[in-house]
Amino acid sequence: MNKTDALRTIIATAPDQPIVFSTGYMCRIARMIADRATHFYMTGSMGLASSIGIGIAQQTNRPTVVVDGDGSALMNPVGLFTAGAQESLPLVHIVLDDGRYDSTGGQVVPNRPDFCALAWVCGYGRVYQVTDPECLAERLGTVLRSCTTTTFIRCVVSGPDSPVPARVDGDLGGHAQRFTAALAAQEGR
Amino acid sequence: MTTTLAVDLANILCDDLMDNGFGPFYGTPCGILAPLYDVLEKRAGLITVSREDNAVGMAAGASLAGRYPAVVMQNSGFGQSVNALASLVVPYRLPMLLVISLRGVHPDSTQENQVMGRLTEPLLRGLGIESVTPSDLPIGRRRPVALLVPPSAFGWSA
Repeated sequence: MNKTDALRTIIATAPDQPIVFSTGYMCRIARMIADRATHFYMTGSMGLASSIGIGIAQQTNRPTVVVDGDGSALMNPVGLFTAGAQESLPLVHIVLDDGRYDSTGGQVVPNRPDFCALAWVCGYGRVYQVTDPECLAERLGTVLRSCTTTTFIRCVVSGPDSPVPARVDGDLGGHAQRFTAALAAQEGR
Repeated sequence: MTTTLAVDLANILCDDLMDNGFGPFYGTPCGILAPLYDVLEKRAGLITVSREDNAVGMAAGASLAGRYPAVVMQNSGFGQSVNALASLVVPYRLPMLLVISLRGVHPDSTQENQVMGRLTEPLLRGLGIESVTPSDLPIGRRRPVALLVPPSAFGWSA
C-alpha cells in the first residue's frame, strides 16, 4: 500500500466527514483523488494537523478525520498528548508511516518510535495498526459508524507515489471559507 | 495594585470577551496573565494546551468550525507560534484573538525575556496582525488580531 492507495481508501470510506490533510504530498495527492468541500488542505504549519482536527471535533462534536505523516507527528507530538487527554472526542487520527520525509526528498526520519504504543500511553481510546487498504477501510468504516472516543490508526505505507500531483493552488482564505461553509451546511442538516 | 483589583479587572475583560462572542478559549499559562487565566478557566472553560502553537492550531480548527476563538499566551509562546500564524492563520484568514503578555517590557527586566519583549510588536507587524486594546475588540469584521498585555496590567511584579 503506497500513500495514494491509503488516501484513496480514506477518502472513499469517509465521504461526508471533515478530513484534515497534513502538509506536502498528502494534500496534493488527496486533492487529485477528490477535491471535496469537506477536505481541509493544510499546506503549511507542519505538525499541526492533529491540533486543527481536535479543534474541529471539539466544536462540531462530529467525527473528524486527520491524515498525518510520521515526520509531522514526530515534529510536533503535542497533538498526540492533547488528543489523548480527551477521552470522548470523535477524532480519528491516522498516521501514514513510511519512515521518510517524502515531500522533501525522501530523507530518513531520525526515529521510528512505536506510534501505537505512544498513542496508547497518551490516552487514545482505540489504537489500530493496518498494512493493507482492505483492513484500513474496515477499521476506519467501523470507527466512523460509532465514533465515541479518540482513535489512532497507524497505517504502514511504502513504495513510490508517482507522478506526484501539482501543488494546492488558489486562494487559501477561499479554501478555508469553503470548508467552513461545508461544516455549517452539515450542522444545519 | 491589590490582588482584588487584578481579579476585578480580569473579570471585566472576561465579560467583554464573552459578551462579544469570543470563544472557545485556549491557553498556555503565564504569570502576567494568571488572574485572567484563572477567571477564563472558571467562567469560560479555558482549555490548557501544553504548547502555544498547538493552541493556535486548535483555535484554527475552532475558527474553521465557525467560532471566534481566543488564545492566551506569553510572548515567549508567541515566538513559538510564529510559523503557525505565518503559514496557517494569516494566509487562510482564520479569525482569532491572541491575548499576548509582554514579558521583557518594563518593569520586567529579566534578561532572558528582553529580546522577545523587543520583538513582539515588530513580529506582529511583519505578520500583518493588528494589535487592539480591550476597548476596541474587533467584533464586526472577524479577523486575526492581538491584544497585548503589559506586565503591570494585572499587578505582576518581578
